[in-house]
Amino acid sequence: MTRYVVRRLLLFVPTLWVISTLTFFLMRLAPGGPFNAEREIPQAARAALAQKYGLDRPLAVQYVTFLARAARLDFGPSYKFPTRQVREIILEGFPVSAELGGWALLVALLAGIPLGVIAAQRQNAAADTTVMAVALAGVSIPNFVLGPLLVLAFSLGLYWLPPALWEGPQSRVLPVLTLSAAYVAYVARLTRAGMLEVLRQDFIRTARAKGLPERVVVLKHALRLGLLPVLSYLGPAAAAIIMGSLVVEQVFAVPGLGRYLVNGAFNRDYTLVMGVVLFYAAFLMALNLLVDLAYAWLDPRVELK
Amino acid sequence: MRRSLPWVALALAAILAGCAPGGHGTARSAAGGPRYFGSVCPPRGDVLRFNNGAEPETIDPALVSGQPDGRLARALFEGLATCDPRTLEPRPGQAARWETSTDGLTWTFHLRPGLVWSDGAPLTARDFVWSWLRVLRPTTAARNVGLLYTIDGAEDFNRGTVPDSSRVGLSAPDDTTLVVRLATPVPYLLQLTAYPTWLPVPRHAIERWGERWTRPGHLVSNGAFVLERWRQNDRFELTRNPRYRNAARVRLDRVVAYSVDDLSTSSNLYQSGRLDWNTSGYVPLPFVPWLRGKADFRSAPFQAVYFYSMNVTRRPFDDVRVRRALNLAVDRDAIARDLLKGTRAPWGRLTPQGYPGYPAPPSLGHDPARAREVLAQAGFPDGQGFPKISILFSTSEDHRRIAEAVQAMWTRELGIPVELRNMEWGSTLQATTTLQYDVARRSWIGDYLDPGTFLEIMRGGDGNNRTGWSDARYDRLLLAARHEPDPEQRLRLLGQAEALLLADGPVIPIYHYSTVELVKPYVRGIWSNALDTHPLEDVWIDHAWRPGRP
Repeated sequence: MTRYVVRRLLLFVPTLWVISTLTFFLMRLAPGGPFNAEREIPQAARAALAQKYGLDRPLAVQYVTFLARAARLDFGPSYKFPTRQVREIILEGFPVSAELGGWALLVALLAGIPLGVIAAQRQNAAADTTVMAVALAGVSIPNFVLGPLLVLAFSLGLYWLPPALWEGPQSRVLPVLTLSAAYVAYVARLTRAGMLEVLRQDFIRTARAKGLPERVVVLKHALRLGLLPVLSYLGPAAAAIIMGSLVVEQVFAVPGLGRYLVNGAFNRDYTLVMGVVLFYAAFLMALNLLVDLAYAWLDPRVELK
Repeated sequence: MRRSLPWVALALAAILAGCAPGGHGTARSAAGGPRYFGSVCPPRGDVLRFNNGAEPETIDPALVSGQPDGRLARALFEGLATCDPRTLEPRPGQAARWETSTDGLTWTFHLRPGLVWSDGAPLTARDFVWSWLRVLRPTTAARNVGLLYTIDGAEDFNRGTVPDSSRVGLSAPDDTTLVVRLATPVPYLLQLTAYPTWLPVPRHAIERWGERWTRPGHLVSNGAFVLERWRQNDRFELTRNPRYRNAARVRLDRVVAYSVDDLSTSSNLYQSGRLDWNTSGYVPLPFVPWLRGKADFRSAPFQAVYFYSMNVTRRPFDDVRVRRALNLAVDRDAIARDLLKGTRAPWGRLTPQGYPGYPAPPSLGHDPARAREVLAQAGFPDGQGFPKISILFSTSEDHRRIAEAVQAMWTRELGIPVELRNMEWGSTLQATTTLQYDVARRSWIGDYLDPGTFLEIMRGGDGNNRTGWSDARYDRLLLAARHEPDPEQRLRLLGQAEALLLADGPVIPIYHYSTVELVKPYVRGIWSNALDTHPLEDVWIDHAWRPGRP
């Protein structure tokens, strides 16, 4: 177990190296640079900026310097925000994205799992069809449509909730609902599929034959295995939900990290993009590792090698 | 019993007014009906909440280049002069008065006595000298440093050719006297001194905190407000600066500047009553025809022009007749009227409107028959033999629609093949700066009210020219204007230069920008003006305002 974890952690290093190298050179291949602007920057200022960021040195030197600093989690100052360190930007933005994503994930699980269980228990009945139809709708409606619709109804129609900004518990409701909608649907479908498979198995028949109440059969015996597909989806889902909050952060003016990735690329903010990409990559790998560990814990048939 | 009376009265008054003091829950009952866009419930207390737009890159006045950044810099710092919120006329700021030498080259500013920074440290003329030399120092890498090149010796010092800062035309003979020696006479110098790049910065705080001096807790300012709180991509919160020279006149206790870059989100916040002011640039343009009937909607000409530029280093744009033909075939009125639904005014010059005394040349007109004639003279009768050209624009729905319209006009009227080339922002900039395009969408915003701020960009070799065009006559006229001490004659020279530019140049003007903003009716002291500049020290919340009043 420990050896497995250590080996996985060691694998992080080459993976991150490949990702950082690819990102570094892809960024440099994009036309233009961080100092192109609608208004020309005077030559003297350009030279000073290039020196400040080390852009006056050969690309190979820049690459090695970058790797050496990245290894110490230092990405340098942002190009777009010259008085801020990339590390600061990440450390301030990520907790907000994580909170938004965390709530959305929680809602997805709390709503999706019961819905999936209900649907599985009443397979092909009206409840099942309804739940799955709603799920389909949830997956299909993109959040840049759902978000504004919710705002229209609850903020500008009923005046119940703020239409945007990140201040106070009320402001969390709409972005969390918007972000979780697709995942509620997905979790419900996965739960349903997992439960249907498990409910047909012999040990369930045995449990029922023993005369256990259906509630116990479903919730205690079936659910643990039926949730395995959900669990393996959880890692990528958590990553996607936290990193994919870009649109929701935009629509609801949430001060998270998501917006920096896209804007950073548009602005040719080399250091910011590198920092955010590497951060997300490490985060994704860590989540996948956690899921694998949890999987082994839930399903005794899985062996970590 | 007696003590509760005022409260009862207050509650009654609030009910009668249809608006409880504060509280978002009351917003619905407070919705001001169709006259206004959304809630018209004033905030509790003397606070102004507005959308400042995209997250500022920095609020260090020396480094500021964008408008959101500049708005904060001006709220925190005050220069020698400030501008009148309505007319933009310069008025005394940190300087109480000033005088100019007869040749217009030497300006002497007299600071108000007893000026202090927000931490109580004295502010003297030496602070201005230090701040401007800081902008000029190459290591500061100030993007707008060119605005200070008008000071004698400044450009050489910035380029490093003369490393001695005492050669720059700045001196502070005593604490309250500042002498500025200019390279050429600059009639708009006072306007410049209100511009962020010219604002004084606190030497003691910068030397103590380095780059982090602009953080809350470190930042020391001399304007109407001080910085209390900042959260990235969210907001800046400013509070009144009790040590401001005119503190008694400032009526806002607090200013909250949100960093909301999404236009719809911004107008949603305004509609729901969480913003008192939706600044220009953050009102979705498709809303405008509908918003125009609202009493809180404001629009005014803004000093900026949307134009196409032609790359004269490529055939066939090296032929002035081709450039003229393309210009004559563009129907600006149709674009402004039908495509943009009247949200922008059609425009046929590079310089915008609103320069008193400027003899502007006649605008370029729409004349397809003449365009065909000129094109035939250039050797392309009915477009025969004309190479396929492309229009380059950065990603935006409006840019695309305008490019499609121009494409249709050129193809229909001149019979020439035109294709559209859309690139994301960074790539578009790269293509225009390196002259890798045929026709490109551009725009220019003026920094101060003077035609020179537009005409200078088309000087041969200027970094903003980006067309490869240069004309010795044009450059000579601009140079003569620069050295001309008589303001009237100077404007005449600039007018001649623009006439030449329009006749021969690489520019196809399309429309004149306008400011489009929403201001709640209880906010006073915000006026639309050509620079979209709004000194916040003049703004106040009218708590006595009631629906039904102006």
